[in-house]
Amino acid sequence: MGAELSRHTEGQGVGASVRRKEDRRYLNGEGEYVADIQVPGMAEVAFLRSPVAHGKIKSIEVPEAYRDQVFFAADINFTKPIVAVSAAKGFKASDYPALTSDKARFVGDLLAICIAPTRAEAEDIASACVIDFEELPAVWDIEVARKPDAPRVHDHWADNVYIETRIQTGDLDAVRKAAAVTVRKSLRMGRHAGVSMEGRGVLAHYDRRLDELVVHSSTQFPHVVRTIMAECLGISESKLRVIAPDVGGGFGPKNNFHPEELAIAALSMKLNRPLRWVEDRREHLVASPHAREHRYELCAYADAKGRILGLEAEVVVDAGAYSVWPWTASMEAGMSAGIMTGPYDIPVYHARAITVATNKSPLGPYRGVGRSGACFAIETLVDAVARAVNREPADVRIENMVRPEAMPYQSATHKLYDSGDYPECAKRAREAVDFAGVRARQARGEPDGRLIGLGMASYTEQSAHGTAEWVARGLPVVFGYEPALARFTPDGKLILFVGIQNHGQGLETTLAQVANQELGIPVADVIVRHGDSSVSPYGMGTFASRSMTMAGGAVSVACAALAEKIKRIGAHLLQAQVDAVTLANGRVHVGDQSVSFVEVAQAAFLHPERLPVGEDPALEVNAVYQPGRSTGAFSYATHACVVAVDAGTGHVEILDYVVCHDCGTMVNPMIVEAQVVGGVAQGLGTALYEEIPYDENGQPLASTFLDYTIPGPTEVPDVRVLHMETPSPHTRFGIKGMGEGGAIAPPAVVINAINDALRPLKVEIGETPATAERILHEIVAAQEARRP
Amino acid sequence: MKPAPFTYHRATSVEDAIAQLSDPDAMARPLAGGQSLVPMLNLRLAPVGRLVDLGRIDALKHAEDQGASIRYGALLTHAAFEDHRVPDGSNGLMPYIGGQIAYRAVRTRGTIGGAIALADPAADWLTTVVALEGEIAIAGAKGRRTVAAADFVIGPYMTALDEGEIIEAIIVPRRPAGERWGHYKATRKTGEYADSMAIALNDASSRKVRLVIGATEGAPLVMVKTAASCAQGASREQVAAVLHEELAASGRDFSPVKLHLHRTTALRALQQAGLS
Amino acid sequence: MKTTISLSINGKPRTVAVEPRMSLADLLREDLRLTATHLGCEQGVCGACTVLIDGEPARACIALAVTLDGAEVRTLEGLADDPLMSTLKAAFQDKHGLQCGFCTPGMLISSWDLLKRKGALSEAEIRVAMSGNLCRCTGYQGIVRSIKAAADQRPAEAQGAAR
Repeated sequence: MGAELSRHTEGQGVGASVRRKEDRRYLNGEGEYVADIQVPGMAEVAFLRSPVAHGKIKSIEVPEAYRDQVFFAADINFTKPIVAVSAAKGFKASDYPALTSDKARFVGDLLAICIAPTRAEAEDIASACVIDFEELPAVWDIEVARKPDAPRVHDHWADNVYIETRIQTGDLDAVRKAAAVTVRKSLRMGRHAGVSMEGRGVLAHYDRRLDELVVHSSTQFPHVVRTIMAECLGISESKLRVIAPDVGGGFGPKNNFHPEELAIAALSMKLNRPLRWVEDRREHLVASPHAREHRYELCAYADAKGRILGLEAEVVVDAGAYSVWPWTASMEAGMSAGIMTGPYDIPVYHARAITVATNKSPLGPYRGVGRSGACFAIETLVDAVARAVNREPADVRIENMVRPEAMPYQSATHKLYDSGDYPECAKRAREAVDFAGVRARQARGEPDGRLIGLGMASYTEQSAHGTAEWVARGLPVVFGYEPALARFTPDGKLILFVGIQNHGQGLETTLAQVANQELGIPVADVIVRHGDSSVSPYGMGTFASRSMTMAGGAVSVACAALAEKIKRIGAHLLQAQVDAVTLANGRVHVGDQSVSFVEVAQAAFLHPERLPVGEDPALEVNAVYQPGRSTGAFSYATHACVVAVDAGTGHVEILDYVVCHDCGTMVNPMIVEAQVVGGVAQGLGTALYEEIPYDENGQPLASTFLDYTIPGPTEVPDVRVLHMETPSPHTRFGIKGMGEGGAIAPPAVVINAINDALRPLKVEIGETPATAERILHEIVAAQEARRP
Repeated sequence: MKPAPFTYHRATSVEDAIAQLSDPDAMARPLAGGQSLVPMLNLRLAPVGRLVDLGRIDALKHAEDQGASIRYGALLTHAAFEDHRVPDGSNGLMPYIGGQIAYRAVRTRGTIGGAIALADPAADWLTTVVALEGEIAIAGAKGRRTVAAADFVIGPYMTALDEGEIIEAIIVPRRPAGERWGHYKATRKTGEYADSMAIALNDASSRKVRLVIGATEGAPLVMVKTAASCAQGASREQVAAVLHEELAASGRDFSPVKLHLHRTTALRALQQAGLS
Repeated sequence: MKTTISLSINGKPRTVAVEPRMSLADLLREDLRLTATHLGCEQGVCGACTVLIDGEPARACIALAVTLDGAEVRTLEGLADDPLMSTLKAAFQDKHGLQCGFCTPGMLISSWDLLKRKGALSEAEIRVAMSGNLCRCTGYQGIVRSIKAAADQRPAEAQGAAR
């Protein structure tokens, strides 16, 4: 494949670290995000949001002066609520209305829309409204929600459980009897926010000429938003255009259909007035879909060498007040339980996945959905098993892994791992972090008294899953394919119209590289258009580590067909045989003669008389791509890190961080590496810093960057990335997804390293984020317990 | 996240500012660098009817070397200290502190007077000026007065400033040339407010030691007994024991974790100052 | 009630009427349509809105426009022809110092100021100096390498001494 790949590249095809085409506009400050767009006559929106977690709305008083600037559910009663339905048995759906009118279900729930010429004035109006609630007890925690007499978040439900599912593979009783050791663990993963640097935002206005509603939204999937928004508005999709302009980071929270999007679109329609809402940081932290909040009860059964014979897991996720569309509330717990055995060959696995409703902001997808928690669970458990049998965790980890000769491998959770060498990946990470050197350093002790710890964690990640996987989950949309329309202009440039959305992943460059690979066209001559439902063919957007595999496949198919046509036209113009010509450097070559793509495109569009007999004019191809198998391409990695824990302050410094990963064929190694590093930084946030706790009144205790910390330049180490490249047998070029992976392992690897460091103090952390305060708390508690 | 409306007055002199701030009906607040106040305004957490901008009062922007002490105008920025644009009598402690508050783009506008007037217990200057035995020069309608920095703060965000009074200057005595300082700050993240901070001063020639702990949910704690035990050459263990007792007796009701943290920062500051 | 102020923005004199509560960022973005200055937190923490006021970096989200009568403000748009900024931009592209681009203008202004003020810089020093600018995409590695590369490309005398 290597030789084939280098055929036309001239250094710009698949595998080349091409510098990004999209950088220029960002570097010049010419990126255009929702908040940068103004439409004449536009009003600004501030939402009136619930200040209480749970309360019946008795009345909302609007000062006389503002009567015509405040709008309630009744004013947009033509909209349908957002209902995310799973086909899973027993699933309870929630009605998530654009504006709530009966009761508020979390702090930040939408009550009314206030409009004014400026955002400041709109906020004046919101703060002048007086809400009379009948306050209800807040369901503020998983334990509270699961009590039989708990108040109901949704009144008509029998309990506060969205859904409970089970996996039962193999004979657990036999394993219990056979096991030499039984290791139990209870873990907690905190709730946090997505924190894209740009918040969400919506701008809706009516285009009179086209007779269509135009909605700009900072979203990861504009086409899909069009589908559900049209349905909720009761209009045809043909009368709705959704544009995702430049999007300042997504990471999952922008991969839902939000009530804010529906509310702004509906009111703009009703008033026939352009309306813009720009989410501020407080709204983002309090009321955008949150991430994580898992609890685990785990039990591993192993033999005397630490070989894991069976695993029992209970995953409980606090999914907040409503089920987000389209994923539903069930996604986190389901995906966590569904990938729990990870890279390990664990034949017997029994799991319960429970998702509860609480009076908190709804939980939604966030980079590494479910898997970050699963990895945290299994990898801290593997360390515990190793300690129980008195062996090095790294050895136990590697010995339990699926062997490369077992590929393709069917896991206990019925996933089909397609390819790779998991033990080799772990060994390389172990070596790169200088395992032996760190152990020796630990034995010596640090001059400054800090405690050194080494941690490792591995995962396998289903990426670019297609039809089979999404059908199995029973979601309202099956994200099985991606389209690409590859269209030449008469002057020989190529425009790729794609249905993904590029918000930092470099797809305006990497998709052009795929075109270069197929056509030998310089990357500079390729333009990638995306993010506009009226511009590109219907596509699913960017999430689930799918865009390069899916849209890359589609671009490849479309461009391969174009290549054939260009060869036919070029050969004709050169008076050569079609099988004698080659494409390179934007030209069709035969021997030392050539014609340019400009000449070919001119013939195709402007001079059909120059075409071979029977050749259709024009030069464009529309293609749709689905991977060969839709069960997913499995990327995998081992992360290893060395930490220094300051027992005086609880502060953790990451001294070294290594990632060895395999995402199949890399289209652009520079971009791959940066995606991994960026993912690690976010995972370090989950591991060490980020949390939105709630008090017993359901009030969120972090609502600004003063009380919510994301890692900065001094908190993220220089991450060393090692690449392995095992092509997936199922995808074009062997690409596997890799956008999320970096964020999956950090909580596991960092907690393992911290616990390794804290062993001399007999302290163990089982909760993220492992803030300095939390670590210090455990250290002090252990000291007090030891005091006679 | 935009502020509620307020009116604005650009003060032309200290007297003008005081006159504006003394109007009891105006809900007037002074604006110095705005690096703490404006975020609070944006969050609508600080009710303000009239903002009195001190930023054009040149008299507040100078430093004056008075020999035994240096008088720093309240509106000198953290960056002015960081960049050594003002005289220093603290053997480098004040420039060091100025250079590690928040971030450069905040230090260029945030001021020493504004920071001290806000009296955030976790902020840097307050603990520093208390450690350096500075004084706060206050101007108000009733005239001018000077308060020891240690007495200036009454509690979290509560100061000796009366209605209509502003800080005019911070007066810091010149420290002995041979005095060593130690500083240790525990924060969640670079540039953040302290979870605990301590400053130790050690003048070996006169066997004088001073230790102040900040971020203590109130005024900075001047640790007299601990400092005395250090000065008497007590062992590290003895000092730690005295420190523990003194913190426990401070009346601040520290959690075991906070106690542990303050002990850590204090001992490290002492060590950095060449003690125990 | 609005107050009229006169100030220089990117070298051009401007006279504008502003509400006292209007931030410099909103004046630039909403009234003057200079949208390179981004708002990421409006609390002075994230650094996306960093601009130069009288030559020094400052947070435009917590600078009230009304206080800036007579000030000289420069945004990323106003450094289009600056040689050091051009070096930085080229380095950010070459070392992959940006992904979604939202934090990028603030990163560029802060690093421009850093390179003007400081001589030779290690990566560790760059990290501390840039700690007031948050990025959610890159993990900072590309940013730090970009700034280091630009710093090392400066003429020897610039690397030896501060501004």
